Amino acid sequence: MTAQRFVLIAFALGLAHAQDLDPKSLVLFKQPAETWPTYNGDYSGRRFSDLTQINQSNVDLLKIEWMYRITGIGPQRGVGDPSIKSTPLLVDGVLYFTIPDHVFAISARTGEKIWQYDFQDKGGHLVGQRGVGVYGKWVYFLTPDGWFISLNANDGKERWRKKVADEKLQYFTTMAPMIVKNHILVGVGGDAMDVRGYLESRDPETGELQWRWWSAPEKAGDPGSETWPNKAAMDHGGGMTWLPGTYDPDLNLLYWGTGNANPVFAGQSREGANLWTASIVALNPDTGKLVWWFQASPHDTHDWDNVETPVLFNLTIDGKPRKLLAQGARCGWFFVLDRETGKNLVSKPFAGTGNWALGVDAKGQPIPDPAKEPKVDGSMIDMPSLGATNWPTPSYDPQTELFYLNTTQGYGLTYLYDTSPQPEGYGGGGGGNFDSRSALLAIDVRTGKIKWKHEHETGVGGAGVAGGVLTTAGHLLFTGDSGNLEAFDPATGKIVWHQQLTNSLSNGPSTWMMDGKQYLIAGAGDTLFAFVVAGKK
Amino acid sequence: MKPSYVSFALIAVATAAVAQEPQMAPGGRGGGRGSTREFLGLGPAPDAAAAKLGDPIYKENCGTCHGETGRGSQGPNLVRSTVVLHDEKGEEIGPIIKNGRPQSGMPAFPGMKQEDIYNISQYLHMQVELAANRGLYGTTYSNLRSQTSGDPKKGQAYFQANCASCHALTGDFAKVGAKFPQAATMQARFLWPAGRGPRKATVTTTDGKSFAGTLLKLDDFHVSLRMANGDYHEWPLDQVKLKVEDNLGGHRALLPKYTDADIHNMTAYLVTLK
Repeated sequence: MTAQRFVLIAFALGLAHAQDLDPKSLVLFKQPAETWPTYNGDYSGRRFSDLTQINQSNVDLLKIEWMYRITGIGPQRGVGDPSIKSTPLLVDGVLYFTIPDHVFAISARTGEKIWQYDFQDKGGHLVGQRGVGVYGKWVYFLTPDGWFISLNANDGKERWRKKVADEKLQYFTTMAPMIVKNHILVGVGGDAMDVRGYLESRDPETGELQWRWWSAPEKAGDPGSETWPNKAAMDHGGGMTWLPGTYDPDLNLLYWGTGNANPVFAGQSREGANLWTASIVALNPDTGKLVWWFQASPHDTHDWDNVETPVLFNLTIDGKPRKLLAQGARCGWFFVLDRETGKNLVSKPFAGTGNWALGVDAKGQPIPDPAKEPKVDGSMIDMPSLGATNWPTPSYDPQTELFYLNTTQGYGLTYLYDTSPQPEGYGGGGGGNFDSRSALLAIDVRTGKIKWKHEHETGVGGAGVAGGVLTTAGHLLFTGDSGNLEAFDPATGKIVWHQQLTNSLSNGPSTWMMDGKQYLIAGAGDTLFAFVVAGKK
Repeated sequence: MKPSYVSFALIAVATAAVAQEPQMAPGGRGGGRGSTREFLGLGPAPDAAAAKLGDPIYKENCGTCHGETGRGSQGPNLVRSTVVLHDEKGEEIGPIIKNGRPQSGMPAFPGMKQEDIYNISQYLHMQVELAANRGLYGTTYSNLRSQTSGDPKKGQAYFQANCASCHALTGDFAKVGAKFPQAATMQARFLWPAGRGPRKATVTTTDGKSFAGTLLKLDDFHVSLRMANGDYHEWPLDQVKLKVEDNLGGHRALLPKYTDADIHNMTAYLVTLK
């Protein structure tokens, strides 16, 4: 089916069903105000909203409109109490959100539950669940053990399920399916044993495979295979795809981050850069063909998944309008690329001095220092050994031209345990986290310099930043800090509002309009909070 | 429970390796063996006793082709085998052992007893377990974690030049090597000897009164203390002066200066102080 024809059909369905997703809401920038149709709100991953009803002049009037607390599920296997890491999608007045094995549909006006879908997994990792995808009247969900499930948005009834990953091989699935035209994109996680990462495109109606892109080449001689010693290393090379990517409809390019190489800390059986692990890749969403790539952590030996959102924005530089992409990477570097070509504009460490690298190569990619790879008796780097940031959502605010993210700072040691020529699994580990601090950073996208930061020493009175970041045209930045939801002036870092929650912020906040009111939504542990402005100033 | 430093080191190994979790909030997720396996969703644990029985049976019958420990030789690697990973108690690998795979040159073992098949399967699952369950690494590699390539003489010189102004070999460093015999634990300890418990802090109010106690909670807006006499106090942060105890200034200043060789030399020296 052509994309155009699908749009027409979807419109027709839209008349018949109250809970269809209007395809017009799937855009690069500026999504319609009364919807939050994808994980990041729009395709750009900026987590910036044009809404201004909540703004600096009235933010002190924000009040909790409703709370929805997950009950009756209890501690989840190996991870404890339910924790909402998903961003709720808003489609026609209904919020859809998840925890591992469970989907909830609740009223956006009142927080009343409309339906709940419960799944019984047979394995897989319950570390997180980032949310659902919605297409027409269908909800798409991934279970920890690799089932890709389609539900009816109206009642949560299951339409079909397809196996997309084998949990027995230690794959697991946590991501929010991403919809691009008539493609449902699903990625995988899993680096306990050594498997090869992939990204799949599935048919929205049948769930059948459209294409699969592998994060490592298939055989000797294929492009990229020159960065691996042999086929066995590629077959077990890692490079998971566990966070939603971003998409530019004009360029028809999908941008995706890939995870660390495997074996994780023991790199001796995979000499070379190990493409396309720990990279940003640009793919054609219709074919799954690779268009360009940029590797953030070549030959990674630190578990530095590079899945952090590749954020898309436009900016005029030296008088020329540019289509750009920025990423705050787990390896502690901030990158800005031309999103049409992958050409690098900025590469700069935001945690420590980047002393695990000897510098950058001609493409702007860090050159890992072999002396800073994990050693039997430890190798110290001036950033946390397990990375300076992770999946919680960053944000780009076009009003300040600053990129925001929550980070961890400090010093870390990494160790090599499996010294054999053919190591397996993690094969080592990170240790220590010395002089550890957590910090919200505001980074100048033109230079990579830190404009302002909000920092806490880790473990002192429980203080620390948490969760994702949202910015709005109301000159506000929302994120979590020490159990509070806080609003900052994005230009200066000054705190302008806060609300103590029942837990630390555990997802990326989101915002939309309903009944003429702007809502702010935040998940904290087992509870979803909805805020509106009370009264008028 | 009062945590010992040894158990802390194991927990650090287990919790450190969480691929999809930021390390921003301390604590939260338990370490121990059971919980890491549960956390990773690795399925039922292998039967350790059966694995031990299976070891010699595996080596005698399978090791020549599949390698001493199942990592492959002229036959395929079994630790990464899809069949083995789908097997639980020999139900998947049993028929292959009994019938062989004539097309790929694997001989049949029609007389292999069911019990031995089970034991071989558990031996293989134990090999998978040792690789995939990183909660076990602290135990598996405890000897390795005691190795250091450092030169104790150079470590002693480094200590005299950088540490001796605060630490005395007759005082707090007496027998420090006996306290932290494992090199990796010693290393983490001397690099950043932060107390694991709450910090001490002093709050001074606008009227000049001073309160010293144990820091309970500190966020951007409030601070609370537990006093020595058990009293609880809290203040809005913007109305008081707060000083949080920080004894680690010297350590903080050294962190950017250490080379890995300095760290290894210091470790090699300190573990000798028994």
